[in-house]
Amino acid sequence: MLLAGLACCLFAIVVANAVSAKHRAAALACTGSVGCALIFVAAGRALLDGRVSTFHTSSILPLMGFDLTLDPLGALFVAVASFAGVAALIYSIGYAHDELRSRPALSLLMLFVISLVIVPVASSVATFMFAWELMAVSSTLLIVVEHRRRPEARIAAQWYAAMTQIGASFILLGLLLLSSKDGGTFVEVTSHATGLSLTVRSCAFVLTLIGFASKAGAVPFHVWLPKAHPEAASPVSALMSGVMVAMGVYGVVRVGYGLLGGGVLWWWTIVVALGVASALFGALHAATSIDVKRLLAYSTIDILGLVLIGVGCSGALTTTGHPGVARLALLGALTLVVAHAAMKSLLFLAAGAVERASGTRSLDQLGGLIRRIPVTTALFCVGALSLVAVPAFAGFSSEWLLLQGLLHGFVDHHALTLIVLLAGVVALALTGGLTAVALVKAFGIGFLGQPRSSGASEAREVPWSMHAGMLMLAMPCVALGVAPGLVVTALDRVVATVETGGGSLVKPGIGLALTHLHGMIEPMFLLALFAGIVAFTRTVSSWRRAPARHVEAWRGGASQPTSRMQYTATSYAEPLQRVFVDVLRPEVDLEVTHAVESRYYEQSLSYESQVDDAVERLAYLPALRRITRAGESARRLQNGSIHRYLAFGLVALIIVLVVLA
Amino acid sequence: MSTSKHRRGSILRSLFSRAKTEPSPSPDFVIDKGLKGSLQLRHVDVGSCNGCEVEIASAFAPTYDTSRFGARLVASPRHADGLLVTGVVTRNMAGALERTLAALPRPSLVVACGDCAINGGIFKDAYGVDGTLNSFVAIDVSVPGCPPHPTAITQALRSLTGR
Repeated sequence: MLLAGLACCLFAIVVANAVSAKHRAAALACTGSVGCALIFVAAGRALLDGRVSTFHTSSILPLMGFDLTLDPLGALFVAVASFAGVAALIYSIGYAHDELRSRPALSLLMLFVISLVIVPVASSVATFMFAWELMAVSSTLLIVVEHRRRPEARIAAQWYAAMTQIGASFILLGLLLLSSKDGGTFVEVTSHATGLSLTVRSCAFVLTLIGFASKAGAVPFHVWLPKAHPEAASPVSALMSGVMVAMGVYGVVRVGYGLLGGGVLWWWTIVVALGVASALFGALHAATSIDVKRLLAYSTIDILGLVLIGVGCSGALTTTGHPGVARLALLGALTLVVAHAAMKSLLFLAAGAVERASGTRSLDQLGGLIRRIPVTTALFCVGALSLVAVPAFAGFSSEWLLLQGLLHGFVDHHALTLIVLLAGVVALALTGGLTAVALVKAFGIGFLGQPRSSGASEAREVPWSMHAGMLMLAMPCVALGVAPGLVVTALDRVVATVETGGGSLVKPGIGLALTHLHGMIEPMFLLALFAGIVAFTRTVSSWRRAPARHVEAWRGGASQPTSRMQYTATSYAEPLQRVFVDVLRPEVDLEVTHAVESRYYEQSLSYESQVDDAVERLAYLPALRRITRAGESARRLQNGSIHRYLAFGLVALIIVLVVLA
Repeated sequence: MSTSKHRRGSILRSLFSRAKTEPSPSPDFVIDKGLKGSLQLRHVDVGSCNGCEVEIASAFAPTYDTSRFGARLVASPRHADGLLVTGVVTRNMAGALERTLAALPRPSLVVACGDCAINGGIFKDAYGVDGTLNSFVAIDVSVPGCPPHPTAITQALRSLTGR
């Protein structure tokens, strides 16, 4: 069924290439959605009955063969990828125009979805690297699709291409260390790896971790992410941010748990350290970003950091002999992956709809969209509430599980584990608050109040197909929040195949209840309680309230309210930026022009503040400059004279002869 | 050396000296508006010569310290029980006065501070004047004087707080 789905997706590319431009996106979405639906059903069946099915052919990739294995862990990621894929394809019916409607662009979009599905089921080193590179190349090309209109896309694609290729080569090196002469399937690699020394296994883990962490956008390998995600077209950035980064997490789990079978404590300490750094860094930058999509991209770094914390703590607890709690932490991390895929894809699609409706992504230019594009606003609100982890939305249940895993981990008394867990809990708490600031800013400044530009005031609602795509992703956001038990019990079975120690953790039911440990949430009960409290306060306050009097908002006695009196995204984030000035290193420029008559009066004030990525500025750019300089000095060898080149050849020949003699 | 000695002496003296705050005469009458000893006022200058502002400032400064009787000046009419108005209503401030009155939560009260606010005072017939305060809103308490003495302001506000 998986193969049928993949075939159907490939057929969709053919169909899309045959149809005229007007119906091309719709044709691709229809056939592609059928394929993705088939894949989703196949993954769902593998998730529910836990069966492992394999497929091998030697015809697709010469010499190496093509191996696919659908096991529960892979099926989870396949399900996420195919679901988000359908939503992105449907969304692109209304979204695709100009460049994205061309044949190559749509084919690449479909190819990107296919690669996202193949990566988690690839079961040999060759197939995995093939799918991984397909994913990297197709997404790089999708970023440059709109490069004529936005030259920044070219720079973003350069960064992305460089980072992703360096990451892929690290992964390849790591996997090569593990591969045996007999063959490269993951089963053979696993049995071969157990015989290797700890040093080799550690090297392999660290090498693959660097590669996977750069895909997951972990600090300090994240610099491509806040450039590439905003510049890609919205369906692409939704898939990149919701699904593709999760493949980094998949890689860490697959290699760390699957191929290397657990490992030692310090491996997982590194994972947690990466997670804590990215969670805090991402959340801080999200809180100070002005561009909606950049804000969401940094928030992706933040959430993936939390996922890495969960995975790392789980690994640490496994190595110190607490498999039960380790399973809980891993369950939390994987639930967060699923929730994040739904809510972040939804938010990116909604941000794309906002951009389409108003022509801008800058929060300082938006405002008042709730009256002009109410449906998009409501859908964005669902995503934002999920991301802020408000109860009865997806983010809450998943972060609750993760927190339970971390807190119950304190049964362990190893000093390093305690530090790791404590760092994880602190990061989770701090990023929770910072994410709330970021999303309150995005929603409050972008959608409420009065429009700050003509684009925002003339915003028109987007086509229904874009709403349909977003609605598809809003449903799991709510479902995972209201009835988390249904999804989490399936995820529990996935975790059981990865971390075999310890029994089942979650009682089946609509809410979440842990079996061995104290802890439960019943979102239905919470919702009923909330509704009850609201109804009670409303009745009580209506008893002794004077009739309401409507007056204009107070604005210090001034006559006309203007949009310039409102908070802007910059001013909302300013206090936070001031508190964290040592981490963010913003460039603030205040220019005061005095009146000619007296210096006591200002004629004009201009304030400019820009928050660059400090890691990029302090680590990457100097390194790049040094490499460029080295390259320039190497050019001095080449002066274009044929005599010099002949001399080089002669000298080389002499050296070779001397060495051989 | 000598200054520190002097300071030490003044600290010691201040420990045992009588109160620096001026005694405030209790009000002749009390207007019960249900304020229960707490009065939050928004001050609006609708066209004053700033004489009244100086006296209000000293009425709330340590020497006369009206705050000890429960009256406070607040920054927004949204937080206030009433307005403390000074000056005659000028054309430029008439609109602002009306908007401030609208922004006050009900029930609200108005204190007219100084002769200008009460009946126009010496600026009554000036060209930029739109009218006296009582042509805009009913005045609850008046503090006569040009400008009124801080003690008079304190006394008038004590009649509202009842303390």
